[in-house]
Amino acid sequence: MENSILQLFPFHSRTLWQQAAMEQEHIQEIRLRAGRPVIVYMEGRERYLTAQGEFTDAASQARKMTEKELEEMLEHICHYSPYAFEEELRRGFVTVAGGHRVGVAGQAVLEADGSVRTLKNIAFLNIRISHQMKGAADRVLPEMYREGILKNTLIISPPGCGKTTLLRDLIRQISDGNAWGRGRTVGVVDERSELAGAFLGRPQNDMGMRTDVLDGCPKETGMLLLLRSMSPQVIAIDELGSDGELKALGQASACGCGILATVHGENRRDVERRFGRESAFWEKMFELFLVLGREKGKFMIKRVEERGERNVQNFGGLYDF
Amino acid sequence: MFRILGGCMIFSGCLGLGMWYRYQLTGRIKALQELQSILELLAGEIRYGRATLPECCGHAARYLSAPFDEAFVRIGDRMAENTGISFGMVFREETEGILAALPLKGEDRENFLRFTAKTGFADGQMQLRTIEQSMELLHATEERQARENAERCRMAVGLGAMGGLLLILILV
Repeated sequence: MENSILQLFPFHSRTLWQQAAMEQEHIQEIRLRAGRPVIVYMEGRERYLTAQGEFTDAASQARKMTEKELEEMLEHICHYSPYAFEEELRRGFVTVAGGHRVGVAGQAVLEADGSVRTLKNIAFLNIRISHQMKGAADRVLPEMYREGILKNTLIISPPGCGKTTLLRDLIRQISDGNAWGRGRTVGVVDERSELAGAFLGRPQNDMGMRTDVLDGCPKETGMLLLLRSMSPQVIAIDELGSDGELKALGQASACGCGILATVHGENRRDVERRFGRESAFWEKMFELFLVLGREKGKFMIKRVEERGERNVQNFGGLYDF
Repeated sequence: MFRILGGCMIFSGCLGLGMWYRYQLTGRIKALQELQSILELLAGEIRYGRATLPECCGHAARYLSAPFDEAFVRIGDRMAENTGISFGMVFREETEGILAALPLKGEDRENFLRFTAKTGFADGQMQLRTIEQSMELLHATEERQARENAERCRMAVGLGAMGGLLLILILV
């Protein structure tokens, strides 16, 4: 996967991206906009790319992308077959080899019912670089088990605080087995291809040897499908968002499956308010609540809360860059 | 006895020459048919599997005969390596040598490769249409060639046989 961001670019523009590819580990996002400077977000700050492919802090020296370049790049990303990525383009992003996600924006073409048919005149690309942080779950893993049994766990975190990274590593370690529990069959419904970073159905991230990934499938449908087809011992989903998903998760739990999920929120109260469900409902479904946050630019596990308890423990940084 | 045997050999030799010439004339038609069947396979992969063009090549390779099968595997592999070279260019590079060895004319080769210059459609139907256009052009050439060939083939075999008889009359 080394320098895999180079593979996002057509042959003739790769020299420009050589240095960026070497710094791939430190890059979070690359923003490409037609007629606008190339912006690279790395190590928590914004930098620009010059016409020579070097990083600069001066916007005036930044290289500007042309519409043609964006068009060529998107065509290359779609393997010269955008029609095969129709659904992905409709959803607004394409996952590429390496697990990176390319978000697209332009002019929406609507269906008669108002749903998005496709995007045309694409003039904005946002490349989110995938970083698998092996070991991100090391600090919480001992809390996840009770006598070798995995606790149903909900990870609560504001956007961009590492919940997907933590969930990905939890899945890997639970699947492979660890010091606190033997390996388990994990079913992952990866609706937005963020967890496994699957490309053509194959996970680009290490998801563990006992993990089955259902890629690009709506979570609600996917969980029931996995339950029927793959008999998972643990079901994992990222970004719980609807009542239907909660119900499907409840069904999985009722079937004896362990559940791992993440949800957007500052804390438990915030999640309870957003879903309009009482604390008792969540405690019936989950035993453990991990609350993530950010302090001084670092991802933190702010609290680990057990069912029935609201003990506050500071676990410190999630991982160090 | 030897005269009859010699006569037979001369006759069959001349007839064989005429048949070989006929085979040469029909070779272009067969090659055109093969190219159409390749395009049909690619279209099928898009139509039913919604596969990308490189994927189409990889899948179609299983149903093709030599030397196209290996070339299509190479196209799939090279695209999977993601060197940044466009599909059109890779496809041309891998098939040009094979096409040059077939009894085809320049226009046939261009008609076959025409769809590789038109990629990037968001609508699968449009991509299918470009492949179908290539197929239609090849089919039209095949039909025209078949009509012209009917006369020529008859003449080639007839001339071979007549030539053989003439030689027998002169020599035997």
